[in-house]
Amino acid sequence: MATTGDGAPRLGLARRFCIYVLEARAQFLSLARTPGFTIPTLVFPIMFYVFFGVVMRFSPLAPTFLLATYGVFGLIGPSLFGFGVGFAAERDSGALLLKQTTPMPVAAYLLARVATALLFGMAIVLGLFLLGAFAAEVTLYRGQWFALAGVVLSSVVPFCALGLAIGAWVKAQSAVAIVNLVYLPMAFLSGLWMPISLLPTLVQDVAVVFPAYHQSQLALKVVDMDQGGSVGVHVLMMGVFTVVFLVVAGFGFRRAGQT
Amino acid sequence: MTGPVRTVARSATYVGLTIVVFVGVLMALPEPAPPEDAADALPEASFAIVRVTVFDGERFRPEQEVRVEDGRIQGVGRWLALPPDLPRVDGRGKTLVPGLIDGHVHTFGSTLNDALRFGVATVLDQFSDPQLVASKRAARDTLARGDEADLFSAGMLATAAGGHGTRYGVPVETVGGPDEAPAWVRARKQEGSDWIKVVHEDGSTFGMDIATLDRHTIGALIAAAHAEDLRAVVHVSTLEHALEAVALGADGLVHVWRDALIDEAQAARIAEAGVFVVPTLSVAASIGGDALEGELLEAAGDTPLSPMQRQTLASRFPGGDEERVSNAGDVAIENVRRLHAAGVRLIAGTDAPNPGTASGLSMHGELRLLRRAGLSGADTLAAATSVPAEIFGLDDRGAIEEGRIADLVLVDGDLENDLSLSPRIVAVWKDGYRVDRSRVHQERPQTQSASPAPETTLIADFEDGIGAAFGFGWQVASDRMQGGSSTGRLSVESGALRVEGEVAAGFPFPWAGTIYFPGAQPMQPVDFAGREVLRFRTRGDGRTYMAMLFGAGGSASVPAGVPFTAPPDWVAVEIPLVRFPTDAPGVIGGLAFVAPAPPLGTFAFEIDDVEIR
Repeated sequence: MATTGDGAPRLGLARRFCIYVLEARAQFLSLARTPGFTIPTLVFPIMFYVFFGVVMRFSPLAPTFLLATYGVFGLIGPSLFGFGVGFAAERDSGALLLKQTTPMPVAAYLLARVATALLFGMAIVLGLFLLGAFAAEVTLYRGQWFALAGVVLSSVVPFCALGLAIGAWVKAQSAVAIVNLVYLPMAFLSGLWMPISLLPTLVQDVAVVFPAYHQSQLALKVVDMDQGGSVGVHVLMMGVFTVVFLVVAGFGFRRAGQT
Repeated sequence: MTGPVRTVARSATYVGLTIVVFVGVLMALPEPAPPEDAADALPEASFAIVRVTVFDGERFRPEQEVRVEDGRIQGVGRWLALPPDLPRVDGRGKTLVPGLIDGHVHTFGSTLNDALRFGVATVLDQFSDPQLVASKRAARDTLARGDEADLFSAGMLATAAGGHGTRYGVPVETVGGPDEAPAWVRARKQEGSDWIKVVHEDGSTFGMDIATLDRHTIGALIAAAHAEDLRAVVHVSTLEHALEAVALGADGLVHVWRDALIDEAQAARIAEAGVFVVPTLSVAASIGGDALEGELLEAAGDTPLSPMQRQTLASRFPGGDEERVSNAGDVAIENVRRLHAAGVRLIAGTDAPNPGTASGLSMHGELRLLRRAGLSGADTLAAATSVPAEIFGLDDRGAIEEGRIADLVLVDGDLENDLSLSPRIVAVWKDGYRVDRSRVHQERPQTQSASPAPETTLIADFEDGIGAAFGFGWQVASDRMQGGSSTGRLSVESGALRVEGEVAAGFPFPWAGTIYFPGAQPMQPVDFAGREVLRFRTRGDGRTYMAMLFGAGGSASVPAGVPFTAPPDWVAVEIPLVRFPTDAPGVIGGLAFVAPAPPLGTFAFEIDDVEIR
């Protein structure tokens, strides 16, 4: 990762912007044209919501509750897969090395991945919100709609960092399996599929070690259905997780550079 | 480079459009519909008030939701999750305050219901019949539906033989000296007194001289109360007595003095001692001749007042030492201003139903008077909610927060900006149940149909003895009809009716005089439709008397009175019938001319040429 060394050409601001946009566009199109990525990430949260939020409701408040948890669940997908699988694949295929030889800043590559996850995330939020509002009679104050969208979309930061950490350490062939091994159990044990209060106490106690738990509690706070933890603690935990993931990713890159 | 630039521009446009669509959808998503006003019919004690400004006991919070479940507050917050089927009350443009706590009342008649209908959900009674208190106590420990404010009380007061408090008709066990204090306090505790009230009153501010407890006895009573783990509050009306009570260890003073202004050092001493003050500015204003009657009647608007509320609001303290009394309200307010500046804890209390006040309604006048003394709106409301709750250990009320009893008052308007809107009550909830504010709590006597009055306007000129142009005629009347022990005597001297007698203790409002029954039988109502004014001539010993109308309800109804003075020389008195605070002043079962108390003692006056025209 030495592209930004002294020998790199200086780029103007406009040109720099072009590079950022073009890289993001390229990554977005590349992912959008991968059905193995788009279908599960877009369809699963929406499908789950139709099942448990629209068709069979465990309680009158379930549609609102699930809007928050499936929203977070929906955002974890593109964030983890984009980095964990996409990054590992590009590295192992040599595409990353090719990009490293161009004047493109590393930040453009990373931001492009985050922006792509964000765009998929917005599509998921829109789908869930429209379903909730018009198929499940969810009503929220304007400030709540925006706050919920904001909290859900902010999930890209910690989970992209987690994806990066995974992608930095595992090979492309095993990346999908590893990401799924993290993704699905964490989602379940953090209470994203069913309310955590319905899970065994032991699971509830362990949930605090998962970033998905803290992120979903923040989202649930917007609709007053969280477990009552403090906002500050949840935000702090998400910050700590993000930093830890980035550090782990950094070690992964260093190891890759040495071999 | 044009190719990539165009691609960049196109991509940026797509992203921009995506964001616009995203925000546009968020703007279009449905918000909760404003509730149909469910406030009018809420059978259960579970509901929510949405989008309301909440005064939580300390500060105002806009756009809150308050959820009530089984009579308790279950949640307060901006974005509360409410079950879709929970009944909702629209709180937009309104302020929700905790059920008010009146820090100084006396309980009898309809006072507890009167208080509740005007948002006072809890009263701190500073002297009432212990038996009455005992009968009301159970209600405060349940969340069952009720139509009266919860009562906490000192019960019987500690006073000297013949002292203040012994003349209201409630038998009082007086305290003879310091040695009697421990046993007296123990007896109160057994009786169920929630704290001890001690009287330090020599009558000087009324220009009277009445027996009062000496400082040793007061000190002993306070010490005995503390030994029994009870608070001790002291009734004072002079600055000297107030400072003395503080020095003796009183926990609180239940009036502010009206005789002198406190200085900074003295106020600081009260603040340091942690003594609270219930100023009762409402009675101070009434004593000073500035009762808020007109202001409060206007504030009450269409909300019906009970006969007792109307009567006590219309009545007045008898005049005393003119100079001292005339500025009593101003002196009291200035003292409160100085106490507040010194950091003394203040509790709003009305001393209702004393003359010039009305239970419940006067609390809103007290709030206005406290504002006049320089308290902020939030401090004033705190003095009527969270401060008394904290001082008296009532931690289940006095605030709007999770777990507290759902005693709530919904007021139309923004109280943060204008506390004088407080009487504009939309709804009162007690223990989560909506209070019927239109139904005055009273055992209404059976009313009789009224017969029309004869043509003649003259009722009696007493030229031929105690006679009358029509009706059953003139009788001695006194509070004996209601269980009191005052006496009266009638005679005719030189063509006028002479009324004399003695007003004696034995009834909350002792009175005696004469009554004329216009019907064929006593209290049989006669309809004086079309008549507008009561006229008569009078002279007497110079004290204030009352002309009272008993309506169709007979002797069980609370009479409606208008005061007049009987000077040494004959004067003509004219009272428009509409001035009598009653629903139907033209329907008269009895017309009385009486001497009210205070003062107690003998009286004598004459009346002549009585007309209703």
